[in-house]
Amino acid sequence: MTRYIIDCDPGHDDAMAILYAAAHLDVVGLTTVAGNSSLENSTRNALAICTLADLKLPVVPGLDRALIEPPLDGAYVHGATGIDGADLPAPGYDPLNRHAVDFIIETAKAAPGELSLIAIGPLSNVALALRLEPRLAGWLKSIAIMGGSTTSGNRTPYAEFNIVCDPEAAAIVFDAGVPLSMVGLNVTRQAGIAERHIARLRQGGGRVSSVMADLLAFYLAKMQERYGTPTAAMHDPCAVIPLARPGLITFQALPVHIELGEGPLRGMTACDSRPMRRDHDQPGASRPANCDVAVAVDGDACVDAVIDTILGYDRP
Amino acid sequence: MIPLLIDCDPGHDDSMAILYAAKHFELRGLTTVFGNSIVENTTRNALKICELAGLDIPVAGGMGAPLVGSFAPSMIHGASGLDGADLPEPRRRPVDMHAVTMIIEQAKKAQGELVLAAIGPLTNVAVALRTEPRLARWLKCITIMGGSLDIGNAAPYAEANILKDPEAAAAVFSCDAEIYLAGLNFTRQAILDRSHAEMLRQAGGAVPETVAGMLDFYLTRNEARYGKPISPMHDPSAFVPFVRPDLVEHKPFHIQVELASPLLRGMTVADQRNVTRRPDEPEPPRANVMAGIRMDGPAATRHVIETIGSYGRG
Repeated sequence: MTRYIIDCDPGHDDAMAILYAAAHLDVVGLTTVAGNSSLENSTRNALAICTLADLKLPVVPGLDRALIEPPLDGAYVHGATGIDGADLPAPGYDPLNRHAVDFIIETAKAAPGELSLIAIGPLSNVALALRLEPRLAGWLKSIAIMGGSTTSGNRTPYAEFNIVCDPEAAAIVFDAGVPLSMVGLNVTRQAGIAERHIARLRQGGGRVSSVMADLLAFYLAKMQERYGTPTAAMHDPCAVIPLARPGLITFQALPVHIELGEGPLRGMTACDSRPMRRDHDQPGASRPANCDVAVAVDGDACVDAVIDTILGYDRP
Repeated sequence: MIPLLIDCDPGHDDSMAILYAAKHFELRGLTTVFGNSIVENTTRNALKICELAGLDIPVAGGMGAPLVGSFAPSMIHGASGLDGADLPEPRRRPVDMHAVTMIIEQAKKAQGELVLAAIGPLTNVAVALRTEPRLARWLKCITIMGGSLDIGNAAPYAEANILKDPEAAAAVFSCDAEIYLAGLNFTRQAILDRSHAEMLRQAGGAVPETVAGMLDFYLTRNEARYGKPISPMHDPSAFVPFVRPDLVEHKPFHIQVELASPLLRGMTVADQRNVTRRPDEPEPPRANVMAGIRMDGPAATRHVIETIGSYGRG
């Protein structure tokens, strides 16, 4: 059976992804990274979410910054703590006294071919692990990424936040030769969290559902302010859903290039989705596909699946 | 009728565009540029089209290579740039004037009125804008077939006309003239297929039958290359908005042309997010292009084909 490490920067949608993954998959640990907020916040928030849901997953802190890019601030969406809006419990246990990069490498080495990564923050930890242990690419079964976009971006006109936080790390991961899946904004924007989902959580009445309702209410208000839409994109869980519920998200194998230039396109996941793609030996030819890119989604079914799962935590 | 000058590189869809536009605008001339083929071929093809349709307008040859770098002709339009149309060698000659000069003189003569259509690489237009700094003010507007707000064709994000001279495109997009853009995101909404060639044949006459032959050639080429005998109606889509505004929707964007990135060079970069600006974000740059975003494709293709079919009735 495949085991999973979630590399994350919680984060409101990270919290949803962690709860969803832990309920459906064999998750063996969380590694944290700076992204939506500082590494300290990411780590504390990961512990708090696990404490809330009584998950007791090992939490292992990783990189506190990107390989090259100076830190970006995600506080405009997630608040000063990285996960504002609810009374999360204080962490009931400590992070492991190890480094995320080592944890990923050791876990993969212990059972080659059985570990998959779910990467829902900047790809700094994953990239550094791949460079530190060249055999890691061969040991990993797959990497499921929330990041990028085949259409417009969020942080910049074409770049998505996780990728633009550490474009060089993304370039390393996308060129690593590990089977990759990418669920980007073109799909996650179609999985909209609405008031009715928050109401369902409140009706559930349990501790986990109530806290998540508070978190999502904060997140929804922030996203509405920024994007003027009635719903908030449920980003991170969309990377996990295909692993538990194949079929809700449709993928297409495409060549994906991470733009590293200093211009306005830095951090763009440039996907060759030309309907009339050319043969590899012609001028203007596309490169071979290196990633399964999410291209279509049953958005409502995805959000319902996650809300159902969260409600399940409060059932005896 | 609106006075019009077409800068082109015929080209099958250029030919359709010229024949279509000649019926709806006061077409004052054609300037040619390298692109679908070498400029010697595109000039000869422009003359052939004029002769076929009895268009008594001047044709001026222009730039044969981009501002930066060089030109490698592709074979999608065949060796002549217009294979599939059995057209006789033209009797008339191009005028003894450079395309760039003709663009400037025509604009000067019809200040504030002339529409300049650019449906090939933007080299002539860019050189004209630099040669005559008042040109941008003299033009009523520039309508361009090129670029894309989503997927490219010659490269993952770049469209062929822009990619063949990205520096020229950058110069044109940053000029002061009003610009209308028919990018691939727009032209791909209007799909030509064999039924359109059939409509032209039924119309009868030299022009419709010749265009039917060109369309057949192009569709067969596309089928061999990409698996389907269909083609987006690229170049005519730059003119349809002026004739049938009811069939299209445009939206203002700030568009800049990517020049640096090896993979993304030639991309028309536009901020398509719908976001409320945060205090730490800079003011967005002013829109410089009205880009086509929606077209009633079936109605637009029918309208263009019917116009070309009307040549048959004399």
